[in-house]
Formats: sequence, C-alpha cells, structure tokens
Amino acid sequence: MSDTTCPVNHAIIRLKNIIQSGSLTHPKIRRIADEVLELLEDVAWGRAGNEHLNTVKSLAQEMMTQSLNESGSEAGKMVISALDEHPEIFSSHVETHNCAAGDCVKLAPAPCQMACPAGIDVPTYVTLIGMGRDAEAIEVIRKDNPFPWICGLVCTRPCEFICVRGRIDTPVSIKILKAFAAERAMSEYQYKNPEKEPDKNRKVCIIGAGPGGMSAAYYLALKGYTVRIIEALPMAGGMVMVGIPRYRLPREVIDRETAMLEDLGIEFCFNTRFGKDVTLEQLRSEGFDAFFIAIGAHKPFKMNIPGEDDFPQIMDSTDILRRVALGDRRIPGKRVVIIGGGNVAVDAARTALRLGCEDVTIAYRRTRSEMPADIEEVEQAEEEGIRLSFLTVPIEIIGKPNRVTGLKCLRARMVAKTSGSGRKSPVPIEGSDYVIDTDAVITAIGQQVDPDSLDTLPDLDMTKRNTIQVNMVTMETSMEGVFAAGDAVTGPATVIEAIGGGKKAAEAIDRYLFGIPQPRTPPVPVRRGRMEWLEVPAPTKMILKRPEMPLLNIDRRRTTFQQAELGYSENMIREEARRCLRCDICRRCGDCVSVCRDKMGIDALQLGYLDFDHTTATDFRVTGDRCITCGACAANCPNQAMQIRDIKNERVLSLCGTILNRQRLLHCDICGAVLGTGRYLGYIRKRVDKKAPQTTSERLVCDVCARKESARRHDDISPA
Amino acid sequence: MVFRKGQKIEIFRKSEEDAWEPYMDEYVGCHGIITDPDTAINDPDALVEVTLDGRGTHRLPQDCLRVLEDQGK
Repeated sequence: MSDTTCPVNHAIIRLKNIIQSGSLTHPKIRRIADEVLELLEDVAWGRAGNEHLNTVKSLAQEMMTQSLNESGSEAGKMVISALDEHPEIFSSHVETHNCAAGDCVKLAPAPCQMACPAGIDVPTYVTLIGMGRDAEAIEVIRKDNPFPWICGLVCTRPCEFICVRGRIDTPVSIKILKAFAAERAMSEYQYKNPEKEPDKNRKVCIIGAGPGGMSAAYYLALKGYTVRIIEALPMAGGMVMVGIPRYRLPREVIDRETAMLEDLGIEFCFNTRFGKDVTLEQLRSEGFDAFFIAIGAHKPFKMNIPGEDDFPQIMDSTDILRRVALGDRRIPGKRVVIIGGGNVAVDAARTALRLGCEDVTIAYRRTRSEMPADIEEVEQAEEEGIRLSFLTVPIEIIGKPNRVTGLKCLRARMVAKTSGSGRKSPVPIEGSDYVIDTDAVITAIGQQVDPDSLDTLPDLDMTKRNTIQVNMVTMETSMEGVFAAGDAVTGPATVIEAIGGGKKAAEAIDRYLFGIPQPRTPPVPVRRGRMEWLEVPAPTKMILKRPEMPLLNIDRRRTTFQQAELGYSENMIREEARRCLRCDICRRCGDCVSVCRDKMGIDALQLGYLDFDHTTATDFRVTGDRCITCGACAANCPNQAMQIRDIKNERVLSLCGTILNRQRLLHCDICGAVLGTGRYLGYIRKRVDKKAPQTTSERLVCDVCARKESARRHDDISPA
Repeated sequence: MVFRKGQKIEIFRKSEEDAWEPYMDEYVGCHGIITDPDTAINDPDALVEVTLDGRGTHRLPQDCLRVLEDQGK
C-alpha cells in the first residue's frame, strides 16, 4: 500500500475486487463479504456508528474461519490485518468524520480545517456566521479552541494562507469573522460553556496560564477533572496578556474568555512561581495525578555587542511590553531604536510611540521583503510614523556614563550565498559605520525558554534548542505523568499552536489517567457538522471582495492604547462569509471540469483554483455563457458538490451553493413534459443531425408524443 | 530566517534533526506554505511553521524544506 492511501479506502477497493472476481463461490461467504463491504463503505462515508468496526472484525473472522476456499479466507485476513495495522485511522473515520488522506471522498477535510493547529471546523462556523447564527458558530469553534475572541484578534491564521479562495483573489477573512461572532455572542449573553462530564475525582495541575495551559485546563475541566492553574504573573493570559499590546488585544477580551474558564470551576493561583513557591513534590502530595507544563518562552536572547549591558536605557521588548501591560506607562526615552524585524519588534515600536516617544525607529538587518512581521502590522506602524531602517546591522551601543546616546551600526547589502539555494544574506559593508542618535534601545531578536524555571525538574529532557523534549503526538515528556506544550516546547511560536498543543495534551492526559494507549499519529480534525451551503449567484461570488479593515483615526492610534482595528460591520461580515467556497464538500478532484471539457466538448467550467501547485484564472460567470445544462458534471461529482436541479421553470446548476447557470426549461407542446433547456436541445440536435438529419419543425415534442404522432400518421396512411 | 512567510515550499526529504518524528515521513513530497518563519535570530536550526496542503500545520526543521520555484498563481 502506498504511503498516501487511506487504509479504509484501500480495504474497500481490495474487497470489491475480490467480490467482483467471482472467486467467492460459497453463497454464505459471498453474503458476508457484501455485508463487510457495506459496513466499510459506511465508515468511508461518515455513516458508521460505534459498533461498526467490531462488527466488521467479527464478520471478517467468520469469513476466515468458515470459508471453504482460499479466496474467502484471504479476504477475511486482509480486512482483519487492515483493522489491526491501522486501528486509529479506522476509529478516526468513525469519530471525526474526516479522512486525513482525503481518499474517502465524502470525508475529505477542508484545507482550512486541516491547516488549523487546533483543527477548528472552519467551513461550518463560517457558514453559520453567514447565516447570522453567531452563537452557534462560537459553540462550534469552542469544541476545538476555547478562545475564539482572542484568536479572532491575534491569530496568525494559517487557515487563511491555505484558503482556496486565495487562489482566486484573496482568502476569506476567517480570523475577523471569528472575532465578530465572539463579540456578538458575548454581548448577547449567548457565549456559553458546554455541559461538563460528571466529576472524575482526579486532579491535574497546569503550570502556566497562557493559551496552551488554559486550553488544556478547559478541555480537562470539561472531561470532569479537577484543574488548578499555577501562574507566576498576577493575571491570566501569559504572553497573550503581557506580550501582545492592548491596541491589538484589549484586556477585557482576555478577561472575559478567562472568566468562562473560572465558570467551569478551574482554580487559578496567581503570583505563584513553579519551583520556588511550589514544587512538583508538594503538588503530588496534594493529590495531583498529572501535570502539564506550559511556561512559555520569556527569556530574551542577547545581541552580544559591546555596550549591551552598560546602560539602564537598554531593554528587551518582552520586558517593556510586560511592564506596559501591567500598568507602567513610563516613556523609555524621546528617541528610541528597536532592533529586530518580527511582530514583537513592531509591537514594541508601536507601544513606544503610544507611550509618547517622539522618534521611533526599527532597525532591521535585511530588507522589507524579508521582514517576518505581518505586512498589515508593518504598514500600520509606518502610517503611525515609525521609521524603518533596513540593511542596518547594530555593532555597538554607545553613550555617556549611565546614559545611552546612540546605536552604532553598519550598512549591509544582500549577497547570494555561493553554496545552497542562492538565498541572499545581509553582509556588512566595511567602513560604512554610522550612529543612530537615541535615548533608548529595545531589543526584539527573540526569546527562549528560561531554564531557571525548570531547574527543579532535573529528569526533564530538553532539546538542543533548549526547549522541552516531548512526543509531538501526545505531548508526553521524559517524566512519567508530566506533559508539556506551547512555546516551552516549540520555542516562540503562535497562539493557535499553543492552543492546539494544549488540546492534544488534554486528550493525552485523559488517556494516561485511564490507562488507554496513546495514539501514534497526530489527531485528525473533527468535522463538527455538514452545513447546508449559502446560495450565491456566480457574479456575486466573483464580485464580493475581502473588505479593508477600518482603523481608528491616526491621532488616537499615536497617542492611546485603544484598539486600532475597529472590525467589520455586520453587513461586511455576512457578505464575507458568502465568499467561502465550502471546500469541506467540494474536494477539488476536477472530475466535473474533465467531463465537461473532454467528454462533452463544452469546457464551461473555468475553475482554475482546483490545484494547489498550478493555479490558473477562475471565473464562475463563464459557465453561464457556455453551459448547456446537460448535468454531466453533476452526475460525475463524487460528493454532490455540483448539483443540477429543476426549480420551478428553470434548470439550475450550482457548485456548493454558487449558482453557475440558470436556464429556462422547455416543455413538450403536447403533453407538457420537461424537455430540457434550449441550449441542451440545440446541442443534442446538432449531434443527431450529423448522423441523421431531422426535418425542421417549429414544434417542441417529447419522444413519447412524437412516437404517438408518428404512429397515428402511419395508421392514417396505412391501407385498410 | 531562511524562509519567508507565504513562500510555497516542498518537503523534499526527511530531516536529519531530532525534531523529525516517524509520522512525518509521509509528508515527504508534500507541498505547502510557510506560515510562521523563524522570526528571531536567523537561526538555520530553528523550526519553522509550515502549513501543508491538506496535511495540517507543523513545526519542521529547515533542512527538509525547499522553496518551490513557481510562486505565482
């Protein structure tokens, strides 16, 4: 079996071949094989229940033991070995209704859902938002991510990078839709926790109240565990609270979503440093059965340049962002230079500006196109008056006693490496040194895990990157009963990765405490529903554009920490949701395009977005001009994504709700039976005429009436 | 930083790094997009976040990735 073939699909194909070969001669074995095939097809189509796999196994065993010929026995063995070798994949089809390989066509997951590290069912919640059912959308999101509002404002949105709509024009604004729905649901008191499972009387301790720790706590609490979170800071949120400035993520958003966790009975212990205020042994003696470490990566890297440790006006970005988040609004200096090119550097620069710094410069060693910060953040920073100094390599911080006066830098140029891929690197230009006058320097060149916070756990294995070594499928560490996730495992990463890690760890902790074997492969995202699609005419689908984000006026942005992005209006949100292509239903196999172009010779489907690697132009409107409504595309669609229906007096062709063509139906002049559309009849006539030219007639008559008429004419002229 | 956000990449081989786990073997040959590059110290050893077409989002070592030539639509 090839690596990419789904074992469920593979078993179905092999069993079908055996049945069709006629080698199962015994009637009973043939009947059992048919039953097994039917049950396996249920699994592949998302119709299977809890007992399906056990029944398949017992029937296959029956085939093995009772078959009188080798073929029946081989078929039984094949099914059993597939079940034994891939139990997780079979179960995952039943439980998640998703086939990660995409071979079981009905269960092929949407790329956006697969891309989300937390596995959120994006098409389902986007459709719900499009229908105005915001609270239900939040309910769907929180099955996989307890923080839809936070993520709606700060997620790095891998889903949007892979969004298929982006191959046509721009991705659906998935992140903003989530924020809107969360805010609306919260405002209307419809943002609710799901029911908890009955109390399990087992205790789990979470170390760190960041997104990873709180996600694990949420899912464990829902499973009925008693959960305590230990946090060194005086508030919940971790890096989300002290690393992301308030103009991007208001504190109220974090507080409201954290309060939902407190409602579940999760206990928070703030100002409690693990290893100092409390140890693992103390917690074990209190009856905690499992531990989850999510302490983040808060220790800044050093630049290792002269002067770095000599002045009090040199600070790290995480320090200043934390101080400001905790209420210290003192200005670091009139003129400030921030060193770095990532989102943290931009956050520090925009924060400095809002504190009152008059001259803020970001010094980055490469060019704008290599800047890893989000382009929107960089553009907003420039609008606010922050200067960007590219190809700038800091070499020394200079000053008078106790006071920084400047940052000495070299100019650089990008030079292609002689070996490797030819990628360009910045190379300092000798003799190009100059000084940027400044009163303070903020470094933003990255963070790492603070090893001091883990020194009471000598048995905890670390990686060469100084992160906690874990099994990435289960988040288990080298210590029994101790799990870890978030930045402490990945290094500085994203909020949504931490949430996904916390969710995975919660599942693994649950299995650990009940002695259930751990999975060997990462979990497949769960399909939370199969929503009806939103009907949108093809021209509208093409014309709808991703809206620009309205922003706070520039003076307020330069002077206050008010939220800079104002969010979309309700109308923008509902329209944006209608841009979704519903890739959870259409798996982009291209069968519709092939049959229309190659078999029918029409070529009415200009769907250039189907292939990830070879994207060409898409225009849904073309179909309306060329389509003959023959229905060949719909008949060949494995998922019923393409549908052709007669509605009132029209034949309507649609792809996942996008109305591609709508043509008037013609009827038999005699009996009124539907004949098809004018274009379709024209197409048929043209093909038939080549073989047997017809006499021209103005009347539209169905075959039955035509035969009757013909018979009558023959009757009239036949000799008596 | 070796890779930039939004670049199309291919996993062209298994990594020799410890961070490469057995289940990742099946991703060799997959194409995807860099969604969170190493943003910090231009460390070629840093793990970068990659979203693979239909195969999920993963933190992978850089030595198994190469940029695909065709970056356009």
